Amino acid sequence: MTINGWFPLALSGSIPPGIPAGAIVKGTEIVVWRDQAGEAHAWEDRCPHRGMKMSFGVVRGDHIACLYHGWQYGPDGQCRKIPAHPDLDVPRSICVKTYGAAEAGGMIWAGLGAPGDAPVLPEATGVRSLYVDVPLNTALAALPSAFDAGGMTARGPVVTLDTRWGTLRIGLQEIGEAQCALHVTAAGNPGAEARAGIARAATRLRDSVESGTDTGVAA
Amino acid sequence: MSGAVLYNYDLDIDCYTVRMIAGCLGIALDLRQVDLYPGHKHLSPKMRALSPQGRLPVLVEDALVLTQPLAIILHLAETRCPDHPLLPQDAITGARMLDWMTFAAREMGVAAEARATAMLDAPGDLAALKDRAKRAFRLLDDHLTLQGFDGLGFVAGPEVTLADLMLFAPFALSRDFGLDHDAFPALRLWARRVRATPGFSTMPGIPDER
Ligand code: FES
Repeated sequence: MTINGWFPLALSGSIPPGIPAGAIVKGTEIVVWRDQAGEAHAWEDRCPHRGMKMSFGVVRGDHIACLYHGWQYGPDGQCRKIPAHPDLDVPRSICVKTYGAAEAGGMIWAGLGAPGDAPVLPEATGVRSLYVDVPLNTALAALPSAFDAGGMTARGPVVTLDTRWGTLRIGLQEIGEAQCALHVTAAGNPGAEARAGIARAATRLRDSVESGTDTGVAA
Repeated sequence: MSGAVLYNYDLDIDCYTVRMIAGCLGIALDLRQVDLYPGHKHLSPKMRALSPQGRLPVLVEDALVLTQPLAIILHLAETRCPDHPLLPQDAITGARMLDWMTFAAREMGVAAEARATAMLDAPGDLAALKDRAKRAFRLLDDHLTLQGFDGLGFVAGPEVTLADLMLFAPFALSRDFGLDHDAFPALRLWARRVRATPGFSTMPGIPDER
């Protein structure tokens, strides 16, 4: 499920400058990070040096440094500095594989393959990302009752639900065959109580689909 | 009150937590190094006399011997600096702190066990420990998500307390036993705030982000 080759990976608010995160889309390991200027990046989660995960690394200014031997990569994925060889002019060939990165509807998206235009969605408030150990279709089937929704429509990896908390838009991330993430956003700017209600409904959904019991959480 | 002696192994999670919190409280500890790995000296007759369970760290202060991190941390804070901001002054926040310190000792303690099994040759079923650690992380992630809606950045309230410092290392070091941080967005943001505590220090395996 994609919009023009774009996949949602995280809520925009979950990735502040300085804290990289790992995200997996159908087995493809991606590091998501934001530079100091506020721009999001999505790269292959693999350091060209010895293949360690870039998501374990540290973001400083506009570059990300690998945790293991400190190789530094700029926003274009090019290695700029190898601390063990400070005078070396780093060859252009040392480069992390980069993907498209975009923000829409309160979420960060990665464009894989040869993506088309990035998705355009209405502004939304991120509520919470939920990681669930079931196939995506199982979680999807439980969504309407979990949120006591009047109706559900889908467009690629985004489902829209009409609920007592207003319109919810949920980004679906298929991590693997038995694992998925739901990035839950709400239209407008819901208050603390509404956001807590949405988050609690999401948590109950996770706990019930994982244990295979009926969601039955509408009360 | 004479000085407090801490029997310590630098790479152990619980030892790090006690050292780090003592640093935040401004308490100097007299460290005695114990070769836990590969020497297994924490199981020597001398250490067993102090800690029959064979646990580290051990705090010795005159006739007092403490072997549980929660007791060590509370004892140090309450006897040396009862007015420290890391110790809430109101009873309700104090009770919440104690609730989460107990969670740290029990549920999150599983993460320390998993790490010791993966790295330090301790006995244990790694897959089962990892699964239990993941469940504990989720509960904490759920809680901090809800706290965030009320503008509260820490487990017991708006300010960092001993409970956050006690919960920090099991999460920060979980990649050592193969549990990534991908699925815990609220914990990633919280860990960053915990690091900003005055006096905070790192240990090997926790990148110094400053
Ligand atoms: S593996 Fe990244 S710098 Fe060595």
